Amino acid sequence: MSLVPERITLDTALKIINAMIRFAKDNQVFPGSYAVVDEGGHVVAFERRDIAPVSTADIAIDKAWTAATMKASGRMLEVITRGEAWRLNVKHKGRLTIIPGAIPIIAHGRIIGGIGHSGGSAEEDLKISQAGWTAIFREEDFKEEVEEKLSKARLIARTVMNIVEERNLKPVSIAVLDEWGGLLLLYRMDGAPYGTLELARDKAWTAAAFRNFSEDAAKFYSNHVNNANWNERVTLVPGGVPFSTEETFRGAIGISGNEPEIDKGVAVEALKRLAIKVQE
Amino acid sequence: MGELEVDVAIIGAGVAGLSIARELSRYSVNVVVIERNVDVAQEMTSNNMGLVCQGADSLTFRPGSLHAELNIKSIPLWPKFAEELGVPFKRVGGLGLICHKADYLRFLKMYSRAFKSSLKPNAPYYIPEGSFKPLQFLDRRSLKDLEPNINPRIQGALYDPNLAVIDPVLLARSLAENAKANGVELLFGNEVKTIERKDTYFLVNTNETTVRASFVVNAAGINAESIAEMVGARNFSYVPVKGILTDFDEETSEVFSHQAFYLPRLGDPHIRAVVPIVYGGLRVGIHLDFVLRSDKNIPLQGLEHNLKVVKEVIPDYPFEKHVKRTFYGIMPLTNAEVGWHDFIVDIPEYVPKWVNVILGPAGVSSAPMLGKKVAELLMTSGLYLTPRTDFNPIVERGVKP
Repeated sequence: MSLVPERITLDTALKIINAMIRFAKDNQVFPGSYAVVDEGGHVVAFERRDIAPVSTADIAIDKAWTAATMKASGRMLEVITRGEAWRLNVKHKGRLTIIPGAIPIIAHGRIIGGIGHSGGSAEEDLKISQAGWTAIFREEDFKEEVEEKLSKARLIARTVMNIVEERNLKPVSIAVLDEWGGLLLLYRMDGAPYGTLELARDKAWTAAAFRNFSEDAAKFYSNHVNNANWNERVTLVPGGVPFSTEETFRGAIGISGNEPEIDKGVAVEALKRLAIKVQE
Repeated sequence: MGELEVDVAIIGAGVAGLSIARELSRYSVNVVVIERNVDVAQEMTSNNMGLVCQGADSLTFRPGSLHAELNIKSIPLWPKFAEELGVPFKRVGGLGLICHKADYLRFLKMYSRAFKSSLKPNAPYYIPEGSFKPLQFLDRRSLKDLEPNINPRIQGALYDPNLAVIDPVLLARSLAENAKANGVELLFGNEVKTIERKDTYFLVNTNETTVRASFVVNAAGINAESIAEMVGARNFSYVPVKGILTDFDEETSEVFSHQAFYLPRLGDPHIRAVVPIVYGGLRVGIHLDFVLRSDKNIPLQGLEHNLKVVKEVIPDYPFEKHVKRTFYGIMPLTNAEVGWHDFIVDIPEYVPKWVNVILGPAGVSSAPMLGKKVAELLMTSGLYLTPRTDFNPIVERGVKP
């Protein structure tokens, strides 16, 4: 019996991310974004460390998506497209990211997912992604201390998952955003459909952008309902909750997976347990 | 708990660690080799093909990689190296089997690239005249003359008369004995637990003793990752690959006497090669799998694959009756996601006085050059090496470890 994972679960993805952070610290690479996706290219876990540029978040996710769906590493794709990979970018709304640092997760002779890192140089990105992949062949568990904002986000996500398990709810996706709407953390619990990922993220974005519960953002343009489509990210569905500490707005969480009101209840309960104030 | 003070501590008594130790014993430095097992060559060194890449193999490695550099520079050194160490070095010759026209074209490409990269005098790794016999293409008839029992469906072969086989365990033992005779200390049964990095030295704590070393060479094979992580010197990653090999008994030497391999097929990651063992018999493999480092399981598919391979090469022989043993070896593979394996022999950027050595496939073949490379690296990072006058390169048997 082999203990190498057959598919990417949340635990495996978190082990990979922790191994990548460990490697980045050892080699003194600037903090970046770390993404792990499953076979279909959908995020299982994503984390962005404090002070990492906000835009590295989507680059890391898209690198992982590219590796998983093209079933090849960025370095290989660069070679086989002879450096002309940008030509492919008329497809997939420019999502293909053919840069070193995108590698497929190979186990049991097939590709079970993808890893993306963004934030270092091409060589650093590649080495960090490789460190993440090779972690699935190691017995030891990786637990890495991270900076303040991300560790708080991890705590919130862990609490949300505990509540979901306690209440026997359906598995959910959790997004935590910082005060600027930049993605800090995105987890998808095992069994949660991948459609919940974008929903959770957009709920959190709506809550962060309007500093209100996501459904209450409607009041900003109550008489102009037609304008509700001004931004495709606005999601007026309960489940996005903004929070603050020490009277300062700190960010928002978004949860998706159950009925919207239940999702909202879980988010509010998690913040209450951690004694974090809901932004009013 | 004793304390030992040395210039260089080498972690790992495999062929890598011992060839470095033996090379350093040419100079007046204190060297200690730390090994967790009770004998040399217990892990990667003892479980491999036993090949010494001498011609076609070395020349087909990616030009410019360390993998190619160390192996090609080792070619002219091997005969003397083996003779000094008293290790049988048998040139069996290799056959790259051609089944289709496409195979022929691929071999032709490799062959011409080999000449471009190494056999012209202005090539980066020039191989001196006389240490290398030219390769040649054999047609079906001359292949039949060379190997009468070979599968008649094979159309021809690229013949490499240089390829040799060796016993890597005996090589490691001789290296250890020679190094010991020249003043290197060997600590067996010492598993490294922690390593502390001080200002100008490292404290290597094992389960039995503490070694205070100015320089550390990490040649721990498949465990190099964990050793390097102890001081934050890990700047590499590798995937543990389990290869399953099967040995056939001495009678099989009569039916086949050359090394033979097929080119890899698309969608088939396993290696298909038959290699004569230096003491007689055939070794066939390799069924490959990415595994955990502690995986000791030998799946049945391994033996099935190996039997299938040997029957593809030599169809009319009851190999089932001649199986001697099936065993596994785990080797590190770097850049495995693209398949461009390369050696790692370097000093990490943030931990000076520390050398990481990761070899993997074709590691034994690079042994003569590896020591020189590491000595050079240690010298550039500040180790003062003065040659000793009383160095004896000839191995004497029976030195106690």
